[in-house]
Amino acid sequence: MEKQTYSRRFFLTTSSLLATFAFIPESVKAFYSNVKKLVIRPKEELRFLVTINKKKYRINADSRTTLLDLVREQLQLTGTKKGCDHGQCGACTVHVDGQRVLSCLTLAAMVQDKNVTTIEGLADGDKLHPMQQAFIECDGFQCGYCTPGQIMSAVACVNEGHTGSVEEIKEFMSGNLCRCGAYNGIVESIQKVAR
Amino acid sequence: MGFFDNQPDIQHIPEGRIEGIAKVTGSGKYAAEYKVNNQCYGVLVGSSVAAGTIKSISLDDAKQVAGVIDILTHQHKPFVPGFADEAKIKEAHFGLPIFYTDKIYFKGQPIAMVIAETLEEATYAASLVSADYTIDKANVDFDKSHPGIAASNTGKERGSLDSWSNVPYVTEAEYTIQNEVHNPMEMHATIAQWTSDDKLKLYDKNQGVNNVQRTFAKLWNIPTGNIEVISEFVGGGFGSGLRVWPHTFATIMAARQVKRPVKLMLTRPQMFLLVGYRPASWQKIKIGADSNGQFAGIWHIAKHSTSVYENFEDGITRITRMVYKFSNLKTESAIVPLNLSAPTWMRGPGDCTGAFAVECAIDELSYQLKQDPVELRLKNLAIEKDPENGKTWSTNFLNEGIQKGATMINWKNRQPVPGQETDGDWKIGYGMAVGMWGAGRGKAGASIKMQRDGTITVRTAMTDIGTGTGTAMQNIAHDFTGISKNNIKVELGNSNLPPAPSQGGSTGLSSISGAVVATCEALKQKLAGYASLQNDVYKDALAKDILLSDTGISYKANFISYASLWEKNNLDLVEAEASSGPGEERQKFSFCSSAAHFCRVRVHSKTGKVKIDKMVCVVDGGKIVNEKAAANQVSGAAAGGIGMALMEEQPVDTRYGSLVGNDLAGYHFAVNADSPIVEVAFINKPDVNINPTGSKGLGEVGIIGSAAAIANAIYNATGKRLRNLPITPDKILQA
Ligand code: FES
Ligand code: FES
Repeated sequence: MEKQTYSRRFFLTTSSLLATFAFIPESVKAFYSNVKKLVIRPKEELRFLVTINKKKYRINADSRTTLLDLVREQLQLTGTKKGCDHGQCGACTVHVDGQRVLSCLTLAAMVQDKNVTTIEGLADGDKLHPMQQAFIECDGFQCGYCTPGQIMSAVACVNEGHTGSVEEIKEFMSGNLCRCGAYNGIVESIQKVAR
Repeated sequence: MGFFDNQPDIQHIPEGRIEGIAKVTGSGKYAAEYKVNNQCYGVLVGSSVAAGTIKSISLDDAKQVAGVIDILTHQHKPFVPGFADEAKIKEAHFGLPIFYTDKIYFKGQPIAMVIAETLEEATYAASLVSADYTIDKANVDFDKSHPGIAASNTGKERGSLDSWSNVPYVTEAEYTIQNEVHNPMEMHATIAQWTSDDKLKLYDKNQGVNNVQRTFAKLWNIPTGNIEVISEFVGGGFGSGLRVWPHTFATIMAARQVKRPVKLMLTRPQMFLLVGYRPASWQKIKIGADSNGQFAGIWHIAKHSTSVYENFEDGITRITRMVYKFSNLKTESAIVPLNLSAPTWMRGPGDCTGAFAVECAIDELSYQLKQDPVELRLKNLAIEKDPENGKTWSTNFLNEGIQKGATMINWKNRQPVPGQETDGDWKIGYGMAVGMWGAGRGKAGASIKMQRDGTITVRTAMTDIGTGTGTAMQNIAHDFTGISKNNIKVELGNSNLPPAPSQGGSTGLSSISGAVVATCEALKQKLAGYASLQNDVYKDALAKDILLSDTGISYKANFISYASLWEKNNLDLVEAEASSGPGEERQKFSFCSSAAHFCRVRVHSKTGKVKIDKMVCVVDGGKIVNEKAAANQVSGAAAGGIGMALMEEQPVDTRYGSLVGNDLAGYHFAVNADSPIVEVAFINKPDVNINPTGSKGLGEVGIIGSAAAIANAIYNATGKRLRNLPITPDKILQA
């Protein structure tokens, strides 16, 4: 299959186009509602290969499926969390080819042939990743729902060298919301690993 | 009290919460994450008008989408006995009678639920559902509506308003707060599965499985025991999970209709509409003092919004009646029905709203009096007796908290005259405020299962919404049995386990600790019973003198190993169950938790930006069972206070009744960079009357008063008194 990239924007523009019908006169609307019928496209299934946590998966996914829904709903890798589905909270952070990525803003088809690491793939067997260990020791969570995303970003924060000061860590980690406000422990965990 | 010298915890690595590994590896299952065979997906469709009646719903387009199984509407839904007729619906007190009405009460009210094979299909099809309405006039304007609704007394008036009309120092002002939304990071979700015609299994996000169980048992008219509610991991609640919401009900109906398990996870925008929020409020406070700074009286009027289909009363003036000695006091309140969804308790509920106004008003008074706000408060605290009922406080260390906090923040560096301290373009100021919360306790049950190898599992239906309930149960069981923590497992959040109250209002730990202690004693007694067959001395052994270890039981140096106990008595599992609740101590004493909040802020004079330099919170939560988790909860509450003070607001478009920007890009709460490293300290003295561990709740007091401390600091920095939350930069620049 030819390599294609789908962006979520495509779907957003299509749907916002539909939304604008609300402001168009009835007659025009009637005409376009026929067009709209044509716009309702049947689902397209995509087949591709992806490596997740060092394991190869043969995927058969709806073209609309995000990477987040792929791992959570199809592969039962529910460690990656959905906090907004719109790139606003960081709960769904995973690594794609070593780069931190918001899986809710990534269509599944975009990771074809790539290497994805989710929170489930961070530990080395039973041996926790130092960041996971630090989060436990520094109590870097309460409810734990933002935690996988925090940890994936925290690993990137250290890898990318943003641990110079508390302020720098806080700034870098501000794309990962924590409603429990476990920020003290999150910063402490990162400092601990960076040391 | 029964604290023993315990066995040291061998290889307790890593030191942290009992569920830590599950949370950092992603293996812990939250409601939407269970794999249930043959499960399909539901997506809710909201009304596009704010008030009216549904004329017709058009489902044709949606039904064309491949994968759609069925669509629930008010015209097509399963029969629910508890909603059989108007009278029953009223009686059910469920709030919105979802799919059992054609009336629209607020914009976004669910009018349909699309059920499809996949989430993508359901989402797409839901976008194709449309409806026609007869539109009624909707009112969503709190500011315009509240003056038209008269307030009435809440609680008994003390003294009279007239008696302090001539005191020399009086301030009078109005305070407002916009709608705030809980927004736990996990969106509410339910998987509903009918395992037989009258047996229901729910994986559900909530703060109290027994409450969910009871509610649906009544609505479906089936025995409570036929419903199993599983909420093992709960991704935050802050009050949003304290009641049962229509979307959960809709999911159960859907599962009934399609005879398959159905999963529904609300979208983030729906989280602003369907699971409550802290209602917008208006308050007026008049407070007076004599020239010594002795409070003469207070008059507090509070109004907040509610929905048109259900009343909600947040209790804003409660706190006014408990912290200080006011010989003259009048509190009044009113609720203002609007075409918005129903609000509910949100962290620190009404007290948090009330404390903002009262604690700011006291600050204003202190500047008038030219007295230090710390001194002024200390002078007026009702530290011995609960002013509401005259009962002695079992413990109240708010004075100590205030003093400790003042030291921690270096209060002595504060300038008594506002606007004196600057650093370039920044103005620096100090502020403080206090919070208090009635320390409750409910009746709770727990059980312990013990294996031959000496490991135990402590179990309760109570949920752990992130407060560390499970870890606390482990700690308490360790303290009261002597068994090392490594050998203590915990199971919770399942309605099949011994019943417990919902986790909210800072009562979780206080309630469950008593149950765990009682169960530990029951276990000891049971084991002693078996032991007495081997050794007579065990016959009259009292639980408090019996010590358990990882290997066996001992009483007065008579040790019997579990192995021999199990062997001799031919045992398999030993189980003990007990429950415990409040008793007559509640007649004798009043109970409270409290907090003193201090902060130093800097305000940019050109941009109006506020930066919290330092934030200190000293809490009296009785005996602290797990210091790390407790400090975490309090600093988290402080982050909530920062959000409340500086950024959280959910505006409503008064023309169309829509929420504006109802997602996490539009609704801001404190991110990591908005919050300093919060400094937390505890009084850490047990309240021996409240429960066997002496610990009082601390989830609420961490936020009650903290927004006021920030507003007061902004005044100290700039001389600008901002009485309308959130205090955004534009308001500061315009003041
Ligand atoms: S779920 Fe992806 S950023 Fe929130
Ligand atoms: S730990 Fe609950 S949201 Fe971060």
